Amino acid sequence: MNHLGKAPLIFGLLFLLAFPVIVFRGDDRSDTLEFWIFAQTHYEEFSARIPAFEAAHPGVKVELRLISKLHDKLLAAFLSGIGGPDLSEVEISSVGRFFKGTKEEIGFVDLTDRIEREGISDEFVQARLAPWSLGGRVYGLPRDVHPVMLLYRHDVYEDAGINPASIETWDDFVRETRPLARDEDGDGRPDRYPLMLSAHKPGHFWLLLLQNGGGMFDENGGIIIDNDIAVATLEFYCSLLNEKQLAIPEFSQDPASYAAMKEGVILGVLAPDWYISFVRRFVPELEGKWRAMPLPAWREGERRTSTWGGTMIAVTRQAENPDLAWEFAKFAYMDDEALANRYRKTFIIPPIKSAWSNPVYAESETYLDGQVLGRSLTELAPDIPGFHLNPYWAEANDLLRLAVYEAANGIRTPADALSNLAEQVRALLQESTVVTEDGELRLPSPRIESTETE
Amino acid sequence: MKPRYAPYFFLAPFFALFGVFMVYPLFDSIRLSTYSVRGMRNQTFVGLENIERLIADPLFWTALWNTAYFAAGSLLLQLPVALALALLLSNARLKGRNLFRLSFFSPVLISGVFIAVIFYLLYDRRYGLVNRVLGSEIPWLQDPDLVMPALVLAGVWRWAGFNMVYFLAGLQSIRQELYEAAAVDGAGPWQSFVHVTIPALKPVIAFVVITSMIGSFQLFDLPYVLTEGGPGNASMTMVMYLYKHGFEFINLGYAATIGWALAVIIGVISIIQVRFFGVFREN
Repeated sequence: MNHLGKAPLIFGLLFLLAFPVIVFRGDDRSDTLEFWIFAQTHYEEFSARIPAFEAAHPGVKVELRLISKLHDKLLAAFLSGIGGPDLSEVEISSVGRFFKGTKEEIGFVDLTDRIEREGISDEFVQARLAPWSLGGRVYGLPRDVHPVMLLYRHDVYEDAGINPASIETWDDFVRETRPLARDEDGDGRPDRYPLMLSAHKPGHFWLLLLQNGGGMFDENGGIIIDNDIAVATLEFYCSLLNEKQLAIPEFSQDPASYAAMKEGVILGVLAPDWYISFVRRFVPELEGKWRAMPLPAWREGERRTSTWGGTMIAVTRQAENPDLAWEFAKFAYMDDEALANRYRKTFIIPPIKSAWSNPVYAESETYLDGQVLGRSLTELAPDIPGFHLNPYWAEANDLLRLAVYEAANGIRTPADALSNLAEQVRALLQESTVVTEDGELRLPSPRIESTETE
Repeated sequence: MKPRYAPYFFLAPFFALFGVFMVYPLFDSIRLSTYSVRGMRNQTFVGLENIERLIADPLFWTALWNTAYFAAGSLLLQLPVALALALLLSNARLKGRNLFRLSFFSPVLISGVFIAVIFYLLYDRRYGLVNRVLGSEIPWLQDPDLVMPALVLAGVWRWAGFNMVYFLAGLQSIRQELYEAAAVDGAGPWQSFVHVTIPALKPVIAFVVITSMIGSFQLFDLPYVLTEGGPGNASMTMVMYLYKHGFEFINLGYAATIGWALAVIIGVISIIQVRFFGVFREN
């Protein structure tokens, strides 16, 4: 080491000096709100509206930042305890990772008391608060409801003499649409499919499972993905793909699925509000040929919709001024006119029931042959199913992907695939039962004590 | 300040950043690999339990196999293609050489995510260009037996042109007299290639093989976007598995263990390659 002289000492000293410079920020940013979002369309929407918030709150500045890989970066900020925004949007498929550990470890501010105190809880579709809640505590405001309808080719239905009103249940759907799935070119497969279901991704199965009253976890944190409802749903799902050959194995957002729609191969899709606007955008050739109807029910008289996708806005624990951040969250997500403008572009209806009286939701939509889509969506919205989040949501969801793939491709039976999934999650829950240093037994249950921690 | 201290201050910013963002995380990840992490803060010391769990984890072995498959595919397919391209484009009689060189090199300038999207379209069963050309409906990305070969081919497209540049530089440094001497001795083109070109390129081949191996074992963006590790886990790679545990399951202790397993594997393979090629050996 002698030949290095004082170099290690000097570098060591500089290394220590660099730490506080990099780690600590000394400026007072209590009048600045940093807001992270992940989508370009959200950026356009909010950047147009932020000046109004700043004008109403003199001295306040909102820094809107479009962040790529937002969820990874937000998680890194939570783990390190620094560098996070005051507010952030979070997409539903990534939310599970933020609810690990105890209530105190969650990086978002518990908004439950604010929501109740200000009486805005009842304004929202109640089931829509569930994806952003754990143990009865709400950590975000929902941006959407995303009720699911069945988008179908009404011109083809008319030609085939199928009356959509006669399709009330999934059994009706199978019976009525079977004639559409004929193999006229003799290649052993239908030339047209009344439905599209993924054989590799869980999204379609998940929304059908929710519609059928199933889910991943119950309200006590127990795993229910292998119960009779789930098995029956997956069996029906697989039969549509395989034995009945009524569903083409494609996924909604793949370019190939839009191409198949254009060619008339796909005649029906499970479509939440946002996806209907995707179809309008990517398959403009079919204007006037689609219509949307409520999902067929699993049993007569039961739920005719489900939900798929979603985004929340949350105030982080790193916010220097949580009150101001909360004001902005309400401004961002609860303005009637802004929500109406968003509907015009995206068909996304708001989760706030009072907003549905806006005339925009009574406008007819030329792409859907003049159907008043907004009315259909808002009629179905109150009936969307909820589900229970769990600290092990991310692991369970990843295993669900595998289970759907294995069942849909005949590697396991549906019952076996779901049983295998449930066993693995149960083992995970069991393994995660730990005794803390003070002797307290901590279970990964969502039933976390509801203490105020703001 | 004494002049002899000046270099340290000029070098200081690099070392400070290197220390904070590389050295410290590196050593902390060793510590982390001996902990079980539950949630954001709760860490429990578990010693070597994560390693035991890793050895017993079938998905880890699947990820390792997939990664090794991609690395072997890179070695056996991509490098010969890169060398063949370099030989072809070093021919002075070829018109538009520079245009070809740029074209073959250009995929490496594109982000991996974008390449994945392109190949997603190319490999589509019904509408993809590959199946249209072949007149088939092969489920490249849906068949667990085909997905890794499909990824290897995408890797060849992405990296062959980049490695071609190394081989081109190597070829240009071979003295012409060696070929002339070989020709005088009666060597044909093939014998010149085997006995002049290959030995002269050995340092370049060693470099390309070692860096390609390291890069292949770090494969992430292509399968992450193209297949999400599927179908099932048929294209799960080690870095994807690490990412899943680290950033989706917040299982940081186990993720750190996977990371160190990967580092050890890359290190061992690199040492074997260095010894095989005689890198750092005089003469």
